[in-house]
Amino acid sequence: MTLAMNVVQVLLLILMAPLVRGVIARLKARIQNRRGASVWRPYSDLLKLFRKEDLVPPSASFVFRLAPIVVFTATLVVAAFVPLLHGSALLNATGDFVLLVYLLALGRFFLMLGAMDGGSSFGGMGASREALVSTLAEAPFLLALMSVAIAAHTSSIAGMVRWTMGQNFFQFSAVHALAFVAMALVSIAETGRMPVDNPTTHLELTMIHEAMVLEYSGPSLALIEWASGIKLTVVMALLIALFAPWGMASSLSPLAIAIASLVLLLKMTALVVALALVESSVAKLRMYLVPDFLGVASALAILAVVFTALMR
Amino acid sequence: MGLFETAAAKALASSGVFLFMTVLLIAAAKRTSTCIALFSVQSLVITAQIVAASGMHHLREGFAIAALVLIVKVIAIPYALHRIVEELKVPRDVSSSTSSSQSVFIAAGLILLSFFAVRPYAGVLGGDQAMLAASVALVLTGGFLMISRKKALMQVVGLLVLDNGIFLAALTTTFGMPLVIEIGIVFDLLMGVFLMGLFVFRIRDTFNHADVSKMRRLRG
Repeated sequence: MTLAMNVVQVLLLILMAPLVRGVIARLKARIQNRRGASVWRPYSDLLKLFRKEDLVPPSASFVFRLAPIVVFTATLVVAAFVPLLHGSALLNATGDFVLLVYLLALGRFFLMLGAMDGGSSFGGMGASREALVSTLAEAPFLLALMSVAIAAHTSSIAGMVRWTMGQNFFQFSAVHALAFVAMALVSIAETGRMPVDNPTTHLELTMIHEAMVLEYSGPSLALIEWASGIKLTVVMALLIALFAPWGMASSLSPLAIAIASLVLLLKMTALVVALALVESSVAKLRMYLVPDFLGVASALAILAVVFTALMR
Repeated sequence: MGLFETAAAKALASSGVFLFMTVLLIAAAKRTSTCIALFSVQSLVITAQIVAASGMHHLREGFAIAALVLIVKVIAIPYALHRIVEELKVPRDVSSSTSSSQSVFIAAGLILLSFFAVRPYAGVLGGDQAMLAASVALVLTGGFLMISRKKALMQVVGLLVLDNGIFLAALTTTFGMPLVIEIGIVFDLLMGVFLMGLFVFRIRDTFNHADVSKMRRLRG
């Protein structure tokens, strides 16, 4: 029963991902006084891309074809780590938070390889920028997760979630507050959202993710786009699970699951609205200010880790 | 234990966290208006703390002080500062001599320093250690803001943060000063802010900017 529930969680994360992107795009359009495309648009986009021909540049090697598959698989495995409806996940005992961080890094690494293998100058530029951003984002991401892990005395994601569920809702700990802000800043960089990277442009010279996928087409592009959608949803689910897991089902009764689904829907909606508002109100940072942005996250994450010792 | 007592206890226990967050965010903020808004939030947290403390210890005076702080520090001073920012028409950034990540690192270091500074006294003074550390951290970061920010208005914000720290230290160690003294301090502060505001306008009119780092000729 628990196993079935865990499989359902992973499937839900994967299938929900395009919808989350669609809703964000729609909300941003509404904020900008446009009507915007339907929220189901990403699904039809994916369907369209999967039916199209996969064009490979003549100079590209097998890495170019391999990269989207590795990116998608790595993201899929990460999705199996995150508890969604109850305090357990499919890969509960198999790996810890370090594995989660580096599986995401593996996906990014192969995306960079594929971008450079494509042979266009934009691909190389995007890859080098991605390398810069991901190098700077790795330390705060790891440290923020580590501070929660130290506080919870466990390294498994599901264990941390269960510990937080047992905490008092009103007892704000400094560790959690600092780690949350650091994680939120890192997830913006990690998922390529607004102040760091603009996900809606193919025209800017400063693009990061879009520059890397410029050479991809057809099913390969569909896999990459779907993977980045899953990544966004997984990071949002991780934020919810680690810092506001209250309302998750503690037993597997249908009623508890129903309540948990409803609460999850509310939290996801709140996060999506917040993301759309932030993305519509801030300007993209200059590339040279991104290290500064992630430096703030690093400082907060380091302070969070030190506070685990101070607040004992 | 009634609802108010529960809420008050929670407010007291968690306000240290919020104060640390406001300190770090002020250090990270790039615009003067953001800093002013964060100062307002910081004063609001302190107001909540006064209400909670005076509710727990049944002090009538406390509520009067809280109302005073709410009116002056949460509403009047930030409003006046926002008006000054609008009227000044100089660039809105804080033009710091350290980048925002460096400032946050320094603020984090100051918070840790204040924890180690209050550790020997926390038991003697009877206050919550996090609270005492927060008050010392506010004083230190206020000073740091005054040193590192070049805009004349940010020196006012730094001074206000510093004053919040002193106020909080008095509150945590002795449940605040008598009402008369408190009124005196708050109005002193209000007058100080208005005078500094006038002074910033004079700087702008004389030198055509509000950047104190360019005022080299004033050196004695």
